Amino acid sequence: MTTIYSRSRAISWLAIAPIIFIFAFVVAPVLNIFFSSIRPESLKLLRAEAIRNVVWFTTWQSLVSTALALTVALPLAFVTANFKFKAQHLTTSLISLPFILPSIVVGVAFLQILPNNFHRTAFALILAHVYFNFGFASRLIGARWLQIHPHLDDAARTLGASPLKLFTTLTLPLLSKAITNAALIVFTLCFTSYGVVRVLGGPTRSTLETEIYFRAMQLGDVSGAMLLSALQIVIIAVLFVVTTKATSKNSEQSTRPTITRQMRPQTRKQKIVITTIISSATAFAIVPVLAVAFKSITTDSRFTTTTWRAVLSSPEITQSIAKTFVYAVIAMGLATILGLLSASSVAYSNNKLRFISGLSTLPIVISAVSIGLGLIITFDTQPFDWRGSQFMLPLAHALVALPIAMRIISPVLQAIPDSLRQASSVLGASPRQTWLNIDFKIIRRAAISAAAISATVSIGEFGASSFLARRGAETLPVMISRLLSRPGDSLQSQAFALSTLLVMFSLAIIFVVDSFAKDKFTRDSHA
Amino acid sequence: MLEIDKVSVIYDSSQLFANLSLTIQHQEIVALTGPSGSGKTTLLRCIAGLESISTGSIRLNGQDITSQPAHFRQIGMVFQDNQLFPHLNVAQNIEYSLKIKRVSKKIADQKVREVLSLVGLHHLIDRTVINLSGGEAKRVAVARALIAEPQVLLLDEPLTGLDADLHGRMLEDLNKLLRTRGTTVLHVTHDKAEAAAFADRVIDLRQLIS
Repeated sequence: MTTIYSRSRAISWLAIAPIIFIFAFVVAPVLNIFFSSIRPESLKLLRAEAIRNVVWFTTWQSLVSTALALTVALPLAFVTANFKFKAQHLTTSLISLPFILPSIVVGVAFLQILPNNFHRTAFALILAHVYFNFGFASRLIGARWLQIHPHLDDAARTLGASPLKLFTTLTLPLLSKAITNAALIVFTLCFTSYGVVRVLGGPTRSTLETEIYFRAMQLGDVSGAMLLSALQIVIIAVLFVVTTKATSKNSEQSTRPTITRQMRPQTRKQKIVITTIISSATAFAIVPVLAVAFKSITTDSRFTTTTWRAVLSSPEITQSIAKTFVYAVIAMGLATILGLLSASSVAYSNNKLRFISGLSTLPIVISAVSIGLGLIITFDTQPFDWRGSQFMLPLAHALVALPIAMRIISPVLQAIPDSLRQASSVLGASPRQTWLNIDFKIIRRAAISAAAISATVSIGEFGASSFLARRGAETLPVMISRLLSRPGDSLQSQAFALSTLLVMFSLAIIFVVDSFAKDKFTRDSHA
Repeated sequence: MLEIDKVSVIYDSSQLFANLSLTIQHQEIVALTGPSGSGKTTLLRCIAGLESISTGSIRLNGQDITSQPAHFRQIGMVFQDNQLFPHLNVAQNIEYSLKIKRVSKKIADQKVREVLSLVGLHHLIDRTVINLSGGEAKRVAVARALIAEPQVLLLDEPLTGLDADLHGRMLEDLNKLLRTRGTTVLHVTHDKAEAAAFADRVIDLRQLIS
C-alpha cells in the first residue's frame, strides 16, 4: 500500500524497535536452541521409544481434537452466520469465552467436571481441547460464511441445487480456506497446548510441550529439552508453510454482500435446530466455568467463603495476584507499542517492510514453552544473566501477545484509504498532524482492543512462565499449578478460587473488546 | 405458460403488493416496469421460489408450483449483480446446472461450448470470473441460466450498470438470443425504453394489482 508517509525516511525507523526486540528475544534464543541441540548424543534421543510415543500421542490427540472441534464449530457457524436470534450478542460472546480463558483454567475446569477415572486420560485432554477451540473456530468460519452473498445461494437454487448440493458445491468450497485456516490454528494450539496437558494429562499423558518442561525443569536434561523444542518448531513451521501454500493456491475471491444472510428463523424446524445448537454450545461453554466458580465457594457441598478468605489473606497469593497484574500492565504496554510500530511499518512502507509481518508471527510458530526455554538458555551468562530478573516474565508475555496485537491493529490501519490522508494534507496538515488526526483516531479503538487482549494473554500465560517465574514472584497460573500439586482439599479449592479470578478478568476483557469492536469507522466503511 | 394468480406478499405486517395477477404465454417476452421499491424484484424472487408468497398461487404449464422449492421449479434467473460463483471459472459456472443434474462430462463440455459461442465468449472458457468485464460477466450469467433450459427465464434488471454503448449491444444480442431459442421471459427493468425495445408486451407492475 502506498501512503502519503511512504516516502518518509522515518518509516524505516518505526521498524527498528520491533526488529531488535524479535531478533534479541525470539530469533537469537531459537537459533541457540537449534545450535545447542544438534549433537550426536542428543539426536539419539529422537530414536528413543518414549520420545516417539510422545510425538505420536501429541500428533494424534491434536488431529482428533481438531476434527472434533471443527465438527462442533461448523453447525454453530451455520447458525450464527445465517440466522438472527434472541440474545445473539450475549450468546456469541459466551461461546467465545473458552478461547480467551487461560489454558490452565480450562484444565482446572475439566478436572472439576470430569469423574476421577477420566483424569489423566486422552479423552479428558481431547474434550478440553475441543472446549478451548470450538468457539474460536466457529467464529472464524462464521465470519467467512457471513461474507458469502446470499444471492449466490439463490443463483445455485434456481440452477437446480438442492440444499445438500448447494452446501457441497457452493458453500463448502467457498468456506474451504476459512476451514483450512481454522484447522491449522486449532491443530497448532492443540499440538503446543501446555496448561491443559499439565493439569489433565499428568506424567502419563505427556505431549511434546510438557515433555520439554519435564526434561528441562525436572530431569535437568536441558539438551534433550532443546532437541524436542527444535523438533516441535520444525513441525509447526513446516505445517504453516504447507498450509499457507495450499490455501494461497485456492485463491478465494472475496465477495462483499450488500445485504445480510442473517434472517429470522421461518419454520418450526429451523427454530428447533437453532435453539438446540445455540443452547448446547452455550451450556458447553459456561458449565465448566460455573463448575470452577462453584467449587471455589463450596466445601463438602456447603456454601462457604472460607476458601476466598484464605486466598485473600495469604501473603504468598496476594503477592502473586499483584505481580500478575503488574506484569500484565508491562506486557500490555510493550506488546501494544511494538504491535503498533510493526503494523505501521508494514502499512506505510509500500510493502518494503512487509517481512516484519512474518517476523512478528514467529512467536506463534514457536510455542510459549520454547520461548521460555530459549530465554533461560540464552540469557544465562554475565553481563546478560537475566534468568532471575523480574523483567523477563513481562517480556516473554509481550512476545506471546505481540502477534495477536499486531493482527488486531494491522487490518484497521491497512483499511484506511489514503485519500483521507491526502484530504488532510491539502487542508494544510503536516504528516505528523495527519497521523494524529486521521490514522491515530481511526486505529485507537483497535489499539485499545489489542492492549486488552495482550493483558489477558499475559495474565493467563503459563508456558513461558513455568520456566521464568521464580519462587516468590509466581504469576497466578504458576500459583494455581503449584496449589494443585500440593495435597489437601483446601489448597486445591484455593486453586479453583484463583481460576475463578482469572475467569472474571477474562469475562471483563471480552465485554470491553466486544464493545470496542463496534468501531465507528469500520462500520461506516462497510456500509 | 406462467400464471400468477392473486398473489400477495406481506413482510412483517406491511403489504408489499396484493392480489397481483399476470399470465405469460409460452415463448412470450414480457417486460415489467415500475418505480423503485414497488416489488418488481420480490415478484421475480417469488416466481423463482426464493421467497414465499402470503396468498395466491403460481402455476407453470398448468402445474401448481406455489409451494415447490426453487431447485424443482425449472425457472431460471439472471440476477442484477450476476452472482457468478467466485470459486469457479467461466466454464465451470456455466456447466454448474449440468453437474447438478449429473449430465455426462462429454455432453456437458459440448453444451458449454455451444452456449459460450451463442453469447460470444468461447475465448474466455477458462477465465476466472473475477477478471471479467461487466458485459462479459453478464453474458456468462445469461449463458449459465440458459444452459439449464428453464421453462421461464427471469431477468432482474440485467443491463443495469453497463455503459450506454454496451447496454445497446447487449440488449440487441440478448433479444436475438432469447428469441432464437424461443425462451419464455419475464424481464424486470425501470428503463421504459429498454422495456419497449426488448419485449412483446410491457406492463407496469401497478396495473397488475386488482
